Amino acid sequence: MEDQQSVVQIKDLYLNFYTYDGVVRALDGITLNVRKGEILGLVGETGSGKSVTSLAVLSIVIPPGRIEKGQIEISLKGKTYDLLSLNDATMARVRGRYISMIFQEPRAALNPVYTIGDQIAEVFFHHRKAELVESAIAQLKKDLEKASGLKRAIYRRELSIYHRMQNNPKSLILRISSKIPLVKRFQNRMKNAARKYIVDMLKSLNIPDPGRVIDMYPHELSGGMAQRAVIAMALCANPLMLIADEPTTNLDVTVQAQILLLIKDLQRRLHTSILYVTHDLGVIAETCDRVAVLYAGNVAEIANVMDLFKKPSHPYTQALLESIPRPGQKFVSIRGTVPSLVDPPKGCRFYDRCDYAMDRCVHEEPELIEIEKDHFVSCHLHYGGK
Amino acid sequence: MTSAKQTGNFRKRIQPTIKEARFMLSRLFKSPLSVAGLVLISYNIILAVFAPVIAPNTSGVRQYDQYMIPRDQSLGFWIQPSPPTSGHILGTTSMQVDLFYGCVWGTRFAFQLGLEVIVSTLTIGLILGMISGYYGGFIDEVIMRFTDIILAFPGLILAMVFVAVLGKAGWSTLQAAIFSIILIGWPGYTRLIRGEVLRVRGEDYVEAARAAGASDLRIMARHILPNSIYSVIIVASLDFGSIVLTAAALSFLGLGSPPGYADWGRLIFDGVPFSGSGLTYWWTFVYPGIFIVLFTLGWNLLGDALRDVLDPLSRRK
Amino acid sequence: MGLREYIIRRLLLLIPIMFGVVILIFAVLQFVDPIQRVTLYLRNPRQFAPEVINRYIHIYGLDQPVWVQFYNWLVSIFEGNFGFSAYYKEMVLPGLLARVPATLEIVIFAAPLIILVGIWLGVESAVRKDKAFDQVTRIFSILGTSLPSFFFGVILSAIFIAQLKWVSAGRLTPTLSTELSLLKSSHHWTTYTGLLTVDSLLHLRLDIFVDALKHLALPVLVLVFIQTAVLVRVTRSSMLEALSKTYITAAKAKGLTNNEVIYKHARRNALIPVVTISGLLVGGMMTGLIITETVFLFPGIGQWAATAAQNFDVSVVVVYAMFSAAVFVLANLIVDVLYAYIDPRIRLG
Repeated sequence: MEDQQSVVQIKDLYLNFYTYDGVVRALDGITLNVRKGEILGLVGETGSGKSVTSLAVLSIVIPPGRIEKGQIEISLKGKTYDLLSLNDATMARVRGRYISMIFQEPRAALNPVYTIGDQIAEVFFHHRKAELVESAIAQLKKDLEKASGLKRAIYRRELSIYHRMQNNPKSLILRISSKIPLVKRFQNRMKNAARKYIVDMLKSLNIPDPGRVIDMYPHELSGGMAQRAVIAMALCANPLMLIADEPTTNLDVTVQAQILLLIKDLQRRLHTSILYVTHDLGVIAETCDRVAVLYAGNVAEIANVMDLFKKPSHPYTQALLESIPRPGQKFVSIRGTVPSLVDPPKGCRFYDRCDYAMDRCVHEEPELIEIEKDHFVSCHLHYGGK
Repeated sequence: MTSAKQTGNFRKRIQPTIKEARFMLSRLFKSPLSVAGLVLISYNIILAVFAPVIAPNTSGVRQYDQYMIPRDQSLGFWIQPSPPTSGHILGTTSMQVDLFYGCVWGTRFAFQLGLEVIVSTLTIGLILGMISGYYGGFIDEVIMRFTDIILAFPGLILAMVFVAVLGKAGWSTLQAAIFSIILIGWPGYTRLIRGEVLRVRGEDYVEAARAAGASDLRIMARHILPNSIYSVIIVASLDFGSIVLTAAALSFLGLGSPPGYADWGRLIFDGVPFSGSGLTYWWTFVYPGIFIVLFTLGWNLLGDALRDVLDPLSRRK
Repeated sequence: MGLREYIIRRLLLLIPIMFGVVILIFAVLQFVDPIQRVTLYLRNPRQFAPEVINRYIHIYGLDQPVWVQFYNWLVSIFEGNFGFSAYYKEMVLPGLLARVPATLEIVIFAAPLIILVGIWLGVESAVRKDKAFDQVTRIFSILGTSLPSFFFGVILSAIFIAQLKWVSAGRLTPTLSTELSLLKSSHHWTTYTGLLTVDSLLHLRLDIFVDALKHLALPVLVLVFIQTAVLVRVTRSSMLEALSKTYITAAKAKGLTNNEVIYKHARRNALIPVVTISGLLVGGMMTGLIITETVFLFPGIGQWAATAAQNFDVSVVVVYAMFSAAVFVLANLIVDVLYAYIDPRIRLG
């Protein structure tokens, strides 16, 4: 599935968890891609592997989880890089800058002992330092003209520090002087510059009174405000792709709608691709361009939203759509339960819950094949004729 | 009158508890550290229970108190301790007091003392804690102030005060020591149980029981108590080790058992003068110390393991 | 409730607690009957005939009703008269104050070591969970909580003091100690702080300085070993808890370096519960000091009280208990305030 328009492409990803009770084969050869400027929904029930996939993209899978094999490629300025081959230090430069993430419980995703402003500023200092330095220098030059005497001398010193920062950011002198109590005050200019940027960002996210919010602590914010702050952190370095791991699940329905609109709006303006992980088909229908359905660590189906809802081709997808409660109809659920991933079945993992199961499904794992343009299914039902 | 149906019901109600217990035991046996703890404690229990068999009184002298270590008349009254020999496996300490007897019976003594103290502190703590948590109000305030006052003193120090005072008033130091350890122990349990009662009190099933007309005592016994028991078990098991340690410390300061008693702390106290000769009489203080470590270590490991097992977060991985 | 109100409320709570402590001590004293209590005031009670003793009982008001006695007792305390020690043959309060510097010297060296080493070991072993560093640290901390301080102390004393003779027991080598007494009595030595390390430097006596340090080594070692073990356990579990939180994953997802995530984000949160238990550490240190000073014959307040207790000298023990309670309560108060301050969730409600 080579795709010229992809921003991020996951190829044949295998991931295991090594636990006391055995090896959990959480991801069993996942292949999917996110295209430039689109919102790809990643839908599945708990245990399907959707959250772990998003963590894998950023290489922040928590041990005892380990990526066994596969590639995760990112297309950057015409070149492709395999994220899984990067060391942690390089990967840290990717995180937050080219790919960022927002989380399910916003107030849990924020550190309770630092202010919102501090935490958003961290992203600035990491990924947009050059801009901060420029702003600081510009401000400094203005102050220099107006100052005289001792202040002038101090500002000159500051200016030389900032120029050094531009030319030689990793110099030892800089690192030392940013730790010494009184001397490190020169960083205040950058902090002030960051503050301006942050206030603007918060304003664009419809947070009222951003000047006050910036100095608040996470526990002082409502769920919706906190999630906006997290979105601000994720988008302030203008990433290529945003991973949204069930960002609205824990919010009130009304707030949920607001955040969804916000995300769509931002995505339109900034042309960010989004990997939207959720279990809510309604959100998928409203927000996404394409959808990937995950079941028990495998990709069941990938299609654009229209096709998925109109022509669901994988039995699991069909069952999912049928089980959406409708007024006047009997409540339908999918029989059986998700298989244990410690000792997964040899063939198709959906076998024991599938109404169309065949002999073939017991021994042979189905592959992901394209049944029509841009519509992929992994099910033996669709092999016929090929 | 227990009808067949009632016994059948009882068995049904007990089933989940048995399953829980089985699950806990299996978890306990998984980690090597907790197995080590269990081994140590079993060893200590065996020593304590079979002390009369393992270290019988061979001196021919009748004992008033089994914990008074019999001296070997044949070795006389020499103050100098005798080194370990075939007759006295661990050697003797001052006045030819046999260390083997002392250490083995010391285990028994530790358990006896520990049990006395734990049972007392738990009982007081349960009663006061439940009253305080359940009824609240003025009586709660009064009980809490008492615990505050006792807890204002770092542990051992208040015990020292009481041993000194009661000793001056004529009590035996050992009785005074046990009294003092109970005295500094009950506030902790009172607070713990009160906390649990407060937590459980707000639950719906308690409201339901009250609405159904159950008496206070019944509610406390059948609903609140079983649900508060887990943390109490964990704390009590860790506490057992520290109670014995505190008693040993008091004995070490001369404020516990009388001379010649089968108490590890006391034996070390008796061995201290001989530590002034360096390692010449090492057995007088090393052996009792080893016994203490084996005891405390076992309880600490078990307490840690219990905490890991009973902690609801780390289960069902 | 803001921070200021919280501090005020806690300070106010101090009063009834200390009052309760005082009442408890007084109640304890009542256990001892008047004849014995009067011995607290007399140097040598045995030489007095019963009628004389009765007269003394009357003089000291020991036959008055309880509340009158209580009042008299409180008054004498406020006047600074904490009674007379039958064993040491001196007034209690001066005896206490004279020995405080020695204990303080141990604490000054031990406390920073405990805090720095304990927190560092706890944090690092949580970061390197289950690796070699962690395993070793855990063994050390289990040992530290299972090894009685007196056993450890006696063994060290037997090896280093008695066998190898590297140091003597006490605060100074006997020769230097005698020299110091001579200097003091001939007014060639002013006691500035009472801390031998500091004072010896101020008098430019490097030999005394080194000697004092050598004698501090063993008591400090025992104290640090035991207390650090406790601190390491708490810090480690607190850090593990902090590292498992979502905001740590979120911080990594922002592109922060591993070091930043651990030391800037996780550690700050992990230290909050650790602050809470440091009040208990103070209590543990005071208890540990009693034993440590006794083992190494270090002339501090711990050994003072222990020996007094052995000889049933009630006045000393009682005053030591009040002193410890005051320190302990104060320490807990400071800790509670600190905790409320550093956790914004508590500070801002």
